Formats: sequence, C-alpha cells, structure tokens
Amino acid sequence: MSAHHYVVIVGCGQTGSRLANRLSAQGQSVVVIDRRPESFAALSLEFSGFSLEGDGTDSACLEQAKIGQADLVVAATREDAVNMMVAQLAHRVYRVPRVVARVFHPERASFCRELGLTTICPADATADAVLGLVGFGNSSCGCREDS
Amino acid sequence: MNRIEFLASRYRAILAYTGLMFLLVAGLMLTPLLVLVAWPDEAVQAACFIVPAVVMAGAGWILWRMFRPRGAAVLSAAEGGVIVLMSWSGAIFASAMPFIPAASLNLTQAVFEAVSGWTTTGLSVVDVTQVSHMVLLWRSMMQLAGGAGLVVIMLAALAGPIGPGLSIAEGRTDQLVPQVRRSVRLVVLIYGIYMVLGVGGLRLVGLTWFDAVNHAFPAISTGGFSSYPDSVGHWDRPLVEGVLIGLMILGNLNFLTAYLLLRGRLRSVVRNGEIRLMALLIPVSAVVAYLATCRALYPAPWKAVRVAVFETISALTTTGFQTVTYGSWNGPGVWVLIVLMLIGGGVCSTAGGIKQYRVHLLFRVMLGELRRLLLPRSAVVSEPLWQGEYKVFLQDAQIRQVVAFVCLYLSTYAVGSLLLMMTGSALEPALFEFASALGTVGLSVGVTARGAHPVALWTMSTGMFLGRLEFVVILVTLIKLGRDFQQAVRFTSRNRV
Repeated sequence: MSAHHYVVIVGCGQTGSRLANRLSAQGQSVVVIDRRPESFAALSLEFSGFSLEGDGTDSACLEQAKIGQADLVVAATREDAVNMMVAQLAHRVYRVPRVVARVFHPERASFCRELGLTTICPADATADAVLGLVGFGNSSCGCREDS
Repeated sequence: MNRIEFLASRYRAILAYTGLMFLLVAGLMLTPLLVLVAWPDEAVQAACFIVPAVVMAGAGWILWRMFRPRGAAVLSAAEGGVIVLMSWSGAIFASAMPFIPAASLNLTQAVFEAVSGWTTTGLSVVDVTQVSHMVLLWRSMMQLAGGAGLVVIMLAALAGPIGPGLSIAEGRTDQLVPQVRRSVRLVVLIYGIYMVLGVGGLRLVGLTWFDAVNHAFPAISTGGFSSYPDSVGHWDRPLVEGVLIGLMILGNLNFLTAYLLLRGRLRSVVRNGEIRLMALLIPVSAVVAYLATCRALYPAPWKAVRVAVFETISALTTTGFQTVTYGSWNGPGVWVLIVLMLIGGGVCSTAGGIKQYRVHLLFRVMLGELRRLLLPRSAVVSEPLWQGEYKVFLQDAQIRQVVAFVCLYLSTYAVGSLLLMMTGSALEPALFEFASALGTVGLSVGVTARGAHPVALWTMSTGMFLGRLEFVVILVTLIKLGRDFQQAVRFTSRNRV
C-alpha cells in the first residue's frame, strides 16, 4: 500500500488500535471511533490521525468521521453485532469500496459472508494458521475475501 | 537496554533531526542572494550570508550523517520540544550573523533582530534606509519561514519523524486532516496561496516587486517588518492599506479555519468562536480608537477612520505594521492597542498573543459560571464550542490548561514590563512595548531603538521567543533536558567509581 488511503476504524481495542497505529505510521489518514475515550490511550506516538468519541452504529458519528470519503472501513469492536451493523452501513449506505468486519462467532461470520461482507473470524483464522503451520493446509479460509 | 542506552538512542535521533533543520536554515540563508540578479553591485556583502550558511550546513550535515536513524524515528512531544528548541536557537544565532557586518549591529542587536524576524514580531533595530536589499530581503524571509515554522517546512519538504510529536511541539496543535504529514502539506499549500495573493495584490495596487515581496511576506506571517522607516505610512494610500488588512486577517486565521473556508464550509467558519470574537473585537476597538483618539488627532475624518481601523487590526492580528507613530496618542488609544496585542490572533495561525481561542473559552467559562448561579443547584451546565467542523463540550482539563497558560502569560508580561521600566522606560511605553514583544506583534512606541539598553533588548528577545513557542514547550523542554542531563551525569560518575 504505497498510495494514500482514508481509513475509518470503529473500535479502538487491541486490534483497532494496532491497526490504527500501523496505518498512521505508513502515512495513511486514519480516524478511529470508540465509545469510551479511555480506550484511545492504546494509540501510540506514531498515531497522527483523529480519534472520535462516539457510537459507530450512529450515522451522525460515522458522517462526522467522513465515512463517505473512506477507502476502507474496519469494524473491530468487541461486539459481533456492532461490527456487522457497522460493516453493513459502510457497505450498503455509504458505498465504501472496502469494508472489513471482525466477527468472533464462526457461524455469524459465515452468515456475514453471505451478506457480501469481507469478514475475519479470529477462530477460523487461528485454525487456518495452525493447519498451515503444521502443513495440513486445505480448509475454509478464516479471512476469505468474497464479495 | 538500560535507561542510559535508551536516552542515548533517543538523543541520537533528536540530534539527527536537529541537523536536518540546520540544513534547511542554511538553504534559507542563501535566498537573499537572489537580489544579486537585480542589484549585482551588492555582491560585496554576499559573504555575510554565505559564510554562516556554509557553517550551518556543515554542522547540520555532520549531525545528520552521524546520527541518522535507520528508518523514520517516532518522537514524543517532549522530544519534539528538544528539537524545536535547539533548531530555533541555532536558526536565530545563524540568522543574526549577517546583520553584524552587513547592518553594522552588535551581537545583542543582531540577535534581537533575528529573534524578531523568526518569531514574526517585527520590532527592529536595523536602520532600513542604510542597509542593502539583501538584508531587507533576509528580514522578510525570516518572517516568512518563521510564520510557517521550521518543523512545518521540514515535515512538508523533507523526510521527518513519524507521528505528531514534533509539530505539536512547535505549537501546531490543530490538525487539518487525520494524517500529520498531509496536514502539514496543506498548511504549506494554504500559506503558499497567501504568498501569491499577497505579492500579487500589492503589485496590483502599484508597489514595486521588491516592496511587494517585503510587505507581503511580513503581512501573511503577521510579522510586520517593513523596508521603510515609517512602515506602511510610507505610502499613505488607502488601497495599499486595504490589501494589507486583508493579508493580515488571513495570516491571523487558524489554518484549520482557512482550510474550511477554502473548501466552502462557511457555516463552520461562521460558528467558530475565534471568528465571532474577532468580528466583535475589530469594530468595537476601531470605534473606540476613532472616538477617543484618532478623531481629535487627525483633522481629515477619512484619515482618522483609516488609522483607527488599520492600527487596531495590525495589533489584534499581531502583525505590527504602522501607518502613524503613537507618540501623540492619548491613554484610551494606547490602552486599546495593548489589550488587543495581549489577546492576539487565532490559535494555530502565524499570529501570537494569548490567542483568541483561549480568550473566547475563558469568556464562555465565565458566562457559564454566572448562569450556574441562577440555576438550581443540581442543574447540569455544559458549554458547547465549535472546533473546526465539530461541536465539542468544554472539558475541565481544557479549562485548566487555558487558565495555566493565561496565568503564565500574564506573569511573564508583568515581569518583562517591570524589567523594561528598570532599564529606564516609563510605565506606559514599557507596558506597550512588552505586550508587543510577548505577543510577537511589533508595534512600537520607541522603546526599541538602536541605543536601547542591552538588558531591555535581551528582555524583549526572550519575550518574543517565549511568545512564539508558547511557553509551555520551552519550560517542559528545559526541565526535561535538565533531568536527562542529571541522569547521564549520575550514571557516568557511578561508572567511574
């Protein structure tokens, strides 16, 4: 990724904050949304984006983050339902070109994929990684990209 | 890695970036040579600029080569503060050097002139009728670069550390877009637009190219150096004053506000507290200055109105262009200018002073407290403010910071003006001149002069430096340097035993 991208990340937990720090250090424009302002403490010195206190399922909040301009939206809160909701909003309503949702529950994750959302399921991803590590590849991919 | 090794690695990165800034300053110091195209006979003075530039470039190159970090380093705001303090001090001393031979100043006067340039103040001890075009252009270039800030120029033009630490340390707290590097480039772009508008505008109203450059650069950087001893009063033409008023107001705008304006977000601009405060302050103070002072002093009514408007805007935007001298101004007029100079321009702009944002915030806090007294005890009062495009509610932490800053500012003002009085100024000129220095304004009632007491000049130099870099950074950086030094000393002495 050498070109410039505008990224909105919903949820500033361990995943969201790491992603935000790395993208910001790369030179991307990053806006992080979280309900609790304390969670922004996880953002490092590399982070030079904006942090927005608010509810990621609230369209006013998403619009304040200028989601309409976004090239990528990542939904990484700790709630599957919130992530699915945010991802659908970004995909359907705001027509964001790339949307990634993290969904913990594998069944919900496959349902999400049926809706046409790029979905990462940590459980599937770990299983894949283990299988790949021991050389028994061939399985359904945890971070399959279908849209 | 123990604490000392860690410190050493941090300071290596700090020195490397300081070196990079030195290289930038060296490059800037060569720009006055451009006037040789038009005035080749001034080549005798070229060495005054080339020698310090070469020394600066050499120092910068050595630092950068020796300590260059692998990849881009990540700096905290405190570490950014060390870079800002060292590179600004280096830039000021290097920039003072040409004045010693080329404008026949002593070291104190030369440093004063350089500080006044880089901090975009505009108080001057150079006799502008006697010096070469090169010196005049150099004064304007210092203001142009000082207005944007060394960090902003470096981050926009060259590689730099990752993260917002460095630009925060230079007082650029508002970011335009969610990536510091792009934000900084936008600032330089907006500044470039001002520059073109300024030079073009002044050229259109009939100034020569050289005069246009030497008044456009100081106007947009709210600096206020002029190449004439009677400043803008030299022309005494309404059109010139009109263009300069426009440029000064642009220069005093928060870059975030300017960005919104550029993108046509007029609603967000109109809702902004700084804009509202400015829209109130300028007419009110111009009317007071007109009624109390100018009406009696200048017989032609049109002239009196022009003077009242121009001087108040020049004071509030902390530019420091003058169309008249204040020797004959009475109490109310001088008072209006002092108050405006203390308030100053927009936060995150090229202007100085306490800043309109802080004054507006304190005013809102005061109103909120009054309202609270009239409401039931359990009522929750929240004060909304518009910042950029967002509505935010006043946080206690914000209020604390602002109160601490204003307290520090006013205490420094008290001490500095006392020092000026102890070197022989009367009360009124001392209060005026130090408000002007601390707010990086540049209006003068005559305390600033070649013959001024060295202590007075150093006091004002310190005031300008503190005012431009917003106190807190300098204080925190000095404390950090002291602590780190103490640790290093303790470590080496323990090793020796």
